[in-house]
Amino acid sequence: MFPGVNGFHWTAGHLIFLGVFYSVVAVIAATLVRSLLRSRKDFDTGKAEAIRWREDFSDLPARDRKCRHELAGEVAERLCDNAFDCRTCLMHPEFERARATRAIKPALREGALGFPLPLDRFYHRGHTWVKPQPDGTVLIGLDELGKRMMGAPDRMELPAPGTRIRTNGTAWLAGRNGARLRVLAPIDGTVLAAHAPDETLMKTRNEAWILRVRPDSGKPNWKHLLYGNEVSAWMMKELERLQLLRSSARSAPTLADGGVPVADFAATLDKREWDALCGEMFLEP
Amino acid sequence: MGRECTRGRSKPMDSHLILRGLERCTFRKFLGWILPWIALLAFGVYAAGRCLVLGLNQTNMDNRFAFGLWIFLDLTIIALGAGAFFTGFLLYILKRSEMKAVINSAVVIGFVCYSGAVCALFVDVGQPLRSWFTFWHPNVHSMLTEVTFCITCYLIVLLIEYVPIFLKNRKLRQVPSFLVFEHELHKLTYVFAGAGTFLSFFHQGSLGGLFGVLRGRPFAFRPELGIWPSTFFLFILSAAAVGPSFVLLTTWLVSKISRKVLVRQEILSQLGRISGILLAAYVFLKCVDTLIWMNGTSRAAGFDVHEFYTYQPFGVWILFFEIVVLGLVPAAILLDSKKRASMPWLLSAAALACAGVALNRFVMTIQTLALPTLPFDRFLSYWPSWQESATFLGVAAYGVLVYSISFRYLNLFPQERELAADAAARREVRR
Repeated sequence: MFPGVNGFHWTAGHLIFLGVFYSVVAVIAATLVRSLLRSRKDFDTGKAEAIRWREDFSDLPARDRKCRHELAGEVAERLCDNAFDCRTCLMHPEFERARATRAIKPALREGALGFPLPLDRFYHRGHTWVKPQPDGTVLIGLDELGKRMMGAPDRMELPAPGTRIRTNGTAWLAGRNGARLRVLAPIDGTVLAAHAPDETLMKTRNEAWILRVRPDSGKPNWKHLLYGNEVSAWMMKELERLQLLRSSARSAPTLADGGVPVADFAATLDKREWDALCGEMFLEP
Repeated sequence: MGRECTRGRSKPMDSHLILRGLERCTFRKFLGWILPWIALLAFGVYAAGRCLVLGLNQTNMDNRFAFGLWIFLDLTIIALGAGAFFTGFLLYILKRSEMKAVINSAVVIGFVCYSGAVCALFVDVGQPLRSWFTFWHPNVHSMLTEVTFCITCYLIVLLIEYVPIFLKNRKLRQVPSFLVFEHELHKLTYVFAGAGTFLSFFHQGSLGGLFGVLRGRPFAFRPELGIWPSTFFLFILSAAAVGPSFVLLTTWLVSKISRKVLVRQEILSQLGRISGILLAAYVFLKCVDTLIWMNGTSRAAGFDVHEFYTYQPFGVWILFFEIVVLGLVPAAILLDSKKRASMPWLLSAAALACAGVALNRFVMTIQTLALPTLPFDRFLSYWPSWQESATFLGVAAYGVLVYSISFRYLNLFPQERELAADAAARREVRR
C-alpha cells in the first residue's frame, strides 16, 4: 500500500488516517521487539530465576502469601507484596523495631509439634533451613515438615559444586512417582558440596544437610529468613495450612486436635494429590 | 471443558499439563466433550471448502443481498468479543484490579470471536487468494478499509495478549526463556491494551459507520456527527456495553458446565453494573438517534418511517423489541443493585443485553438489505444455504474447542483454586 495507489490523495484526511494506523502498527511492533530485547537482557544479566520466582509468587493463592508478621501475630492481616523478600520490604524494619520492644511469645512449648524444630538455624518459607557454620559456610537442608511431605524422592537433581544459587531461585529438584518438585534456595551463594542423604539419615537426623554453600558476601543479609520464636508460629500455621489443604477438597475445613504428620506423604497420597499439595507447600504453583 | 470427575483417586492422564491445584476431568471425558465439536468443525470445514472451491454460488447471497448470515453473525460476535478490549481497558488503563479475575478468559473469548470472524470473512470475500489486496490496494474512501485494517491489527494484538496466558501452561512455564518472555510481555501489556482499545474503538465504529453512510438505504442512513454517522458511535457504545455481559455469561456457563466456582459473585455483579451503565447510555442515545431518524433523516429522503415496517416479519415490534425489551429492560435490571445480587436476574439481564446487540446487528444487515428503496424494487427475502450455516457452525465449534482446550490447560480464572476449596467446604457444611 503506497500513496498514489487507488484514490490516495495528499490530503489531511488520508494522511491522518494512514498516519494514525501506521503509528499503531509501529507501536505494536516496537513493543513486541522491546519485550524480546528485555527478555534477552534478563537472561544475560542472570535475572531469569528472580523473574521466575516473581511469576510463581504472583500465581500463589492469597492464603499462601501471608506476611510473616501476620503469622507471628504482630499484625491482624497482611499479604506480602514483596515476594517474601523482607530485605527490600519497606514495612519490615518497622515491624522489626516493634519486635525489639515487644518480643514474640513462643507459640508452642518445645516438642509440642510432635517433631523436632531446632531453633539454632534460620528457616525459609519454602521449607528449607540454613545453618551457619564456624568456617563461614552454611548448610542447607529440608525442615522436618518438608522432609515428611517430600518423603524419599525417586531422584534428586542437585546443583554441581561451583553452581551459584539465588534466593528464591532453584536450589534443587526432587522427583517422586513421576511428579517433579522445585525446592527454593533460601540464600544467595555458591554451592561447595551437594549430597542426597539416604532415607534413614533423612528420617532420623535433623542435621541431614543437602547443600553446603558459601554465601555471596562475608556479612550476608538474611532478613528474609525466619528465626527465633517466629519459627514455631510459622510452622504451626503451616501445619494448619496443610490440614486445610487436605481436608477442604472433599469436606469442611477441620483441624486435627492431635497426632503428627505421617513420615512420608507421598506414600499415602496419589501422585496428583501429592503434587498439588507439595506445589502449594513448597511455593511452586 | 467437561464435567468435574476427579472425585476419589481418578486422575487425568494429561495431568502433567494441567496446572497444580486445578481440578479437571479425565482425558477420556474431555475427549467425549470435544469430539462432537471436532465433528462439527470438520463439517464446517467441508462446507467452507465447497464455497472456496466451487465459489459463492454455494450461498444464497447475490449482488443485491451481499451481506448474509456470515456478516450478521460476524458483526454480532465481534460486538460480543468486545469484552476483551473493554476488560483490558478497565484493568490496564483504568486500573480496576478486580478485573484480573476474568481478564484471561476475556482475552481468550476475544481471540476466539475475532479469529472466528476473520475465518468466516476469509470464505465470505469469495476470492481469498486476493484478500491481501485490501492491504496493498486499500480503498481509502471505504469504511471497510478501516474495518479490515483495525480487525487485522486487533487480532494480532489479541494473539500477543494470548501468548502470556499460553506460556503459563504448566509445562511451558518450566522453560525459563518462555517464562521470562511472558514476564516482559506482560509488563508491557498496558501498551497492547491501549492499542487494542484504540483499534476496537475504530473498527466497532467503522462497522456501524458502514451502514450509516449508505445514502441509498434510507433505513440505515444516518446524519454525520463530525466525519462519522451516528451509527459509528452507537456501535462502539453497544459493543462496550454488551462485552462485559458476554464475559459474565460465558463465565457462568463455563462454571455450570465444569461445576466449579470460577470467580466471586461480586465480580459478576460488577461486570453487570458496568454493562448496565453503558447499556443505559446506549439506549438513551439510540432513542435520540431513532427519533431524529424518524422525524428528520428518513423524511428528508422521502420515506415515512412506517413504510419500513410494513414488510412482515419486520414490523414495528422489532424496533420495540430492540430498544425496550432487549435494551431498556436489561439496563434497568443491571442498574438495580438488589436485582444484580440475584444470579437469575443478573444472568437474564446479561442474556437480554447480548440478544439485543445481536438483534441490532441483524436489523442493520438483513433488514436493511431486504427493504426496497426504489419504486420498482421488491421486498427481498433471504434464507442462508446449508453451506453458509455449516460454515458458521464450524466457526462456533472452533471457538468452543479453543476455549475448552484453553480452560483445561491454562489458568483462565486465577481465583479458581481458592474458590474451589471454599465451595467444597460450603457444600459439606450444607450437607
